[in-house]
This record gives sequence, structure tokens and C-alpha cells, in this order.
Amino acid sequence: MATTSFDRPSTRPDEIHTLLTGVERYNPQKAGVLEDYLERQCANSDPLSNHDLMANLALLKMYQFNPDLVNLDAIRCILVKALISQSQSDFNLCLYLLSDDICKDASISKLLVLRDYLEGAQFDKFWKEIYGAEDDDEGSVVDDIAGFDSGLRRLIIGEITSTYQTVAVKAVETMVSLNEEAVLRLCKEYNWPVDGSGIITLPLKSENKAKNTVIKENVKFEQLTKIISAANGI
Amino acid sequence: MYQENYDDVEFGGDVDLVANSYANSNLVEGELDEEELIMQAQAGVQSIPEPVRNFLANLHRNLANCNVGDLAYNYENQFVRLTDKFYGKAPWPEPQYVAALVGDDGLFLTLYRELYYRHIYSRLHPSLEVRFRSFENYCDLFNYILNSDGPIELELPNQWLWDIVDEFIYQFQSFCTHRSRVSKRSAEEIELLKENSQVWNTYSVLNVLYSLIQKSSIYEQLEAGQQGGDVIEAAGDFGVRPLYKMLGYFSIIGLVRVHCMLGDYTLALQTLQNVELGNSRALFTRVTACHVTVYYYVGFAYLMMGRYADAIQSYVHILTFVSRTRQYHQRSYQFDAVNKKAEQMYALLAIAVSLSPVRVDENIHTYLREKYGDQQHKMQRGGEEAVEIISELYLYACPKFIMPNPPSYSDIEAASNTAEPQNFQLKIFLREARLQLVIPTLRSFLRLYTTMDLDRLSTFLDMDPLELRNQLMVYKQRCRQIKWAGTPDLLQGEITSATDLDFALQEDMIFIAESRVGRRYADWFIRNTNKIQDLVNNIENRQKTAIANAGKPKAEENNT
Repeated sequence: MATTSFDRPSTRPDEIHTLLTGVERYNPQKAGVLEDYLERQCANSDPLSNHDLMANLALLKMYQFNPDLVNLDAIRCILVKALISQSQSDFNLCLYLLSDDICKDASISKLLVLRDYLEGAQFDKFWKEIYGAEDDDEGSVVDDIAGFDSGLRRLIIGEITSTYQTVAVKAVETMVSLNEEAVLRLCKEYNWPVDGSGIITLPLKSENKAKNTVIKENVKFEQLTKIISAANGI
Repeated sequence: MYQENYDDVEFGGDVDLVANSYANSNLVEGELDEEELIMQAQAGVQSIPEPVRNFLANLHRNLANCNVGDLAYNYENQFVRLTDKFYGKAPWPEPQYVAALVGDDGLFLTLYRELYYRHIYSRLHPSLEVRFRSFENYCDLFNYILNSDGPIELELPNQWLWDIVDEFIYQFQSFCTHRSRVSKRSAEEIELLKENSQVWNTYSVLNVLYSLIQKSSIYEQLEAGQQGGDVIEAAGDFGVRPLYKMLGYFSIIGLVRVHCMLGDYTLALQTLQNVELGNSRALFTRVTACHVTVYYYVGFAYLMMGRYADAIQSYVHILTFVSRTRQYHQRSYQFDAVNKKAEQMYALLAIAVSLSPVRVDENIHTYLREKYGDQQHKMQRGGEEAVEIISELYLYACPKFIMPNPPSYSDIEAASNTAEPQNFQLKIFLREARLQLVIPTLRSFLRLYTTMDLDRLSTFLDMDPLELRNQLMVYKQRCRQIKWAGTPDLLQGEITSATDLDFALQEDMIFIAESRVGRRYADWFIRNTNKIQDLVNNIENRQKTAIANAGKPKAEENNT
């Protein structure tokens, strides 16, 4: 099932695909096309189809070659999308194409801090940093990205289900920044039984099943052909 | 055959030609007296030692006759020997003088100039003018190859073709580094750079590589080869010729290199689509330097993408190959270059293995232990010391990164303060590495238990329990990597667990599981069974022949 970020997403139009696979990806006049595509990705809240890593990397490469075209807002959007992507290396791949100067920008550096919290699993600090104080007037750094919250929560829940077999409701509350009622609703949605003392039992899957395994060797039939034929007098 | 002496007929008659071309190229020095020019030219040609003149004449003849085998000898052996003997610290004879010896053959001179400049880059220090001229020479060469009406009638040995592409990219990288060191450039150099912004322009370099690839239809050929289609048909008129095909192929590898130098690792790996990395007969194996380069960059790209398992696999593969074939390459002039790359790969492998512990092949493991055992211990302990060691090894082994654009010459101070690109890449990598270091540190503790209480572990590790909880989640996150499964697309892969240690948390209790590799006895049994079967067959055969011989009367004895 594993579709990596490098596969062509179903929502990528042919026009973009041809652009990416040819030499036109170096044409600075096409930057606008990729930026529009990025906007469409941001407006799409369906997590399965709203992230086209390769297209975004192509846009970043164009910025690298043409510093005068750099659009910090587009870079911000790309990084936010990469932050909540299923594949943890996406953010880094985007970073490699930037430069020190770009990283000094306020919103970009904030994203770097957020990313540290997220990857270090320090979720409480993360939520605090994103939405800041209640009376903060400035727009959040994750504005205009549809489906950010739900995508983020999906990611965190994915991690929880991989690490824990049983977990306290309170712990989940802090991690996904939802109140108790919302968490219980979530458990119902995913069909996780919650017992009396507020402990959720998570389903066992390959990631959170701690079982000692022995990797047995795999003997292929071809290795035995010579022996078998000799045994049969061939 | 190679020691044949050629009459120096050409040299006497073509001095005028030499004088003219000499005058034309020395515009900077102004007009010289014509007689002086002729004398200078004569002196120049005469100063070329006899073995070198013979070599050049041979080379010219073989080139004209498309004698690839002899060319290979000329290029790989004679050129190197003559360089060591006569031109260890000086440049080869000026192209103008050589022109006299070969009747001003344009193509030969372009190829000769490529060698001439390559030599300057490797043994001497290239000035800005040399860099410009070398670029123009490459433009001439590639123009001729790419823009002729039909495929050109030239054949060169693969080694030479690879070296052309390799050197082209090397000079490009050298130029980018040179011009970005603005503070070290004199005012007139900066003026020259500003006025000639098309020289070693990133787009031009990319254009050459993409054009070579397109002209040779190399991707179509590779795909046809993979799927069992008609390769010849896919190749087209140009791609059928070995010159174009190999140049196209080497350009793919060249592109991988350029992408890595610019920090675009995904594109680098995507460029290798259908280049069968697992195939031991693939085209890149024909030139050792190419073979090593491919794996170096593939491994590096995987390393930067966080796919440590894949990086380790690539490096182990190529390092085993290098150590096994080391004895055959002792006298090759590429030996030093290949060795240096191998050493760098060991350093990168040490980093990768420390960040994502996994068993490696016995020989590699021993060598790694010898060379980097100390550093590996420190890296696995984590903390700031580990990060320092990683930085050190990384800066030793990483490719030379470049900025695709010239610095802003108008703002010299700002330009000289921008960080070198490799420091930027290192910074990002270190961020990843810092997080990844949780794996070796936690693993060394978890390995000793089957169940462990969270609080107890946190006291062992001297950490806050909440902090430890987070660390455990990070561990879980990071031990899942994408692993390449042999598909033609190097970016694809399956998500597997990269460590042998796994765990699950039940509230505050950690349950630890280890996966170990079972004893492999099938291979041993099969091999020995086959051996004894061969032995038995052997004895039976001998027995049969012995019986047959005993029954036959000896022919000679009957005739007496």
C-alpha cells in the first residue's frame, strides 16, 4: 500500500507532470504555473491528495536558481505541507534547497522551531507555539492551508498507535490538543475501547506489537535444483 | 608499433600556420614582429621532446582511423607516463605548437586542448583566463558533437569519454567555488567575471548534459533494455553510435552529480531511472571511476534523505567491489581517485552505521572498526561529542556543494558573509542526525531488558520521564525507513523497520522485542552436498575410464 511521496498523486494534472519530467522545469517563466498548483494544493483539504512533493521541490529549485523570483509565502506553504506529510523526510528535502538567508525569515524560522518540536514529539510545546497566546493578533504561520489541523492530528495519532498498546486519555488530550469529550469521540470513531479508568486500548498492528521475531532464512527452490537432480540420477 | 619513428615532415612546412594561430591568440600581448613570431613558434615546436611528438602523431593517426583499442593504450598508458616524465610540474606543449604537428586538425586540437587544460587543473593552478578558455573549448567540443547534421565519425575509448564528462563537471564545480570566494578575488577578476557571466553558467552546463542525454535517446534505450524491447530502434540514428550512447549515459551520471551538488537529492535519484543499479553488467561498470561515482552519489543521496539502510547497502556493495578488485587496479592512473572516494565512503558509512545500527559484511566491519572504531563509539554515545564527530566526518567526505548563481558582485561584503553551501547542508543534516542519535542511545539500554518500567529507565538515562516518553515516540518514528526493493526507480521502496529492536508501551510499561537473524545452515549444507556430489561423479568417471582403458589393447604394443 505504501505510496511514497515520490509517486505521482492522483490529482496531479498532466500539464504539471509534463513540466516536471522535462527540461521546462528550469524555465523561470513556469514558476507561476507551479505556484498556482501549490495554491490549489493548499485549498484542498483531502489529506490523501493534497500534497505533491515533487512539484513543490521543483518550485523550490526554481527559487534556488532564480533568487529574484523567491516568494516567501509560497515557501512557507510548501514547508507547512511537508510538515504534516506522512513521510517524515519531506521537510528536510525541502530545506536542502533553501538557503541561510531564506531561513532567517521570521515565519520560516518559526516553522523550523515547530518542526523541531514535532519531530522531537514535544507536542504540548508544539501546540502552544502554533496558536500562540489567545490575544495574538498576528496571523498564524499555518494560515491558508486547508486541512492542516486534521492532517496534523492524523499524523500524531498515527504515532501514538505505533508506540502504545494502551494509553491514558489524559495523555492523548495533551498530545492532540483536544478536550476529553473530543478525544472520547475520536475513540468512538476509531473503535477503540475505553475502560473505566480512562485507559484506551489501541488495536495491535505490526508496529506496536512487541514480539520477538527470528528472521528465518529463505531457501529458494533454485538453490536446490542441483541436489535434487543429482538425487534423481539426472 | 608504438615506437615507430615518424619523419617530422609536417613540422617544417607548417610553421606559418603556427605563427598565424599564435599571433591570433595572443591578442592581449599585442602585435609582435612577424619574424620574432616565426622564431618563437619554431622554438616552441622544437622544444617538444621527441617521445611526446611521436605520441601526438600516434594519437592523431589513431583518432583519424577510429582505432579505439590503440587509442585506449595511448590515452591510459602513454599519456600518463609522458605526463609523469616530462610534465610533472609544467603544462603540456601549447596547443598552437601541436597544431603544426597535426596539420591544424580542428577536432584533434579541441580534444588535445581538453587534455591540456585538464592537466593544468590537476597539477597546476588554473588562472581565470585558463578557466574561461577551457570553457570555450568545451563549448566547441560539445557544439561539434551535438549540432552536426549527422552523427560525427569519431570513436573514443569509454574511459576517455567518462573523463571528459567528469572533468567538465569538476571544472564547473571548481569555477563556482572560485567565484563565490569573492573576498579573495581581485578587482579586475571581479570585472572579468561580471562581464562574462555566460562562462560556466549553470544553465549552460545543465543544457549540455540534458542535450547529450536527449541526443542519444539513452533513457529510451535503457527502458527498452529493461522491458525487453528493441534497443536499436529506440536508440535512433545518434544513439546507435557508441560515442553518443556512452556520452549520453555518462551524462546521466554527471547530472546525478550536479543535482547532489545543488542539494536536490530526490531529482538525483530520479535521474537514475532504469539505470540498473543491481546489475553487475550494467554500462557504468565498464569504467571503474564511473562505477564508484554512481554508488558514492546514490549512497550520499540516500543518506541525506534519511534512508540510512539504503545508504549502507549502497556503500557496502561498492566498498566490497573496490576491495576485491584493488589488486587489479594498482597500476591504473585512476587508482588514487578511486581510493580517495573509497576512503570518503568509509567515513560516510561510519556515520550511517552509527545512526542506524545494522550488521554489515565481515570485511567491511573489520576495516571500519580499525579506521573509525573510536569515532563510532563516541557517535553511539550521543550528545554533543557525537555531533562534532559527525560534522568532522561529513565535511571530509561530502561532495563539493555549489551555489548555482554568482554572488552579487555589487555587495561584496554581504557576499563574503554568506555561508558556504556545505555548511548549510551540514546544518540540516545535523538536525536530522541529532534526532536520529536517539536510536543508538536508547537501543543500547533497551537491548538489555524484556520489560522495563518507564520511570526506571528514565532514572538510568538521567532524563525526565515525560522527556523519555517523547524520546520513545521519536525512536518509533525513526526506526521506520523506506527501503529500496530493487525496482528500476530508486526512490521507491517499502517501509520497513530499520532496527532489530522494537518495543511497545502499555501506559508506563515498556515491552521490548528483539528480532534476530536465525542461524543460516541451508547454504552450507547445499554447498557441501554439491561438493561431495561432484567428488563422487569425478571418482565414478575416473573409474569408468580406467575400466575402459584396461579392456582396450595398447595400440603400440600390438604393432611391434
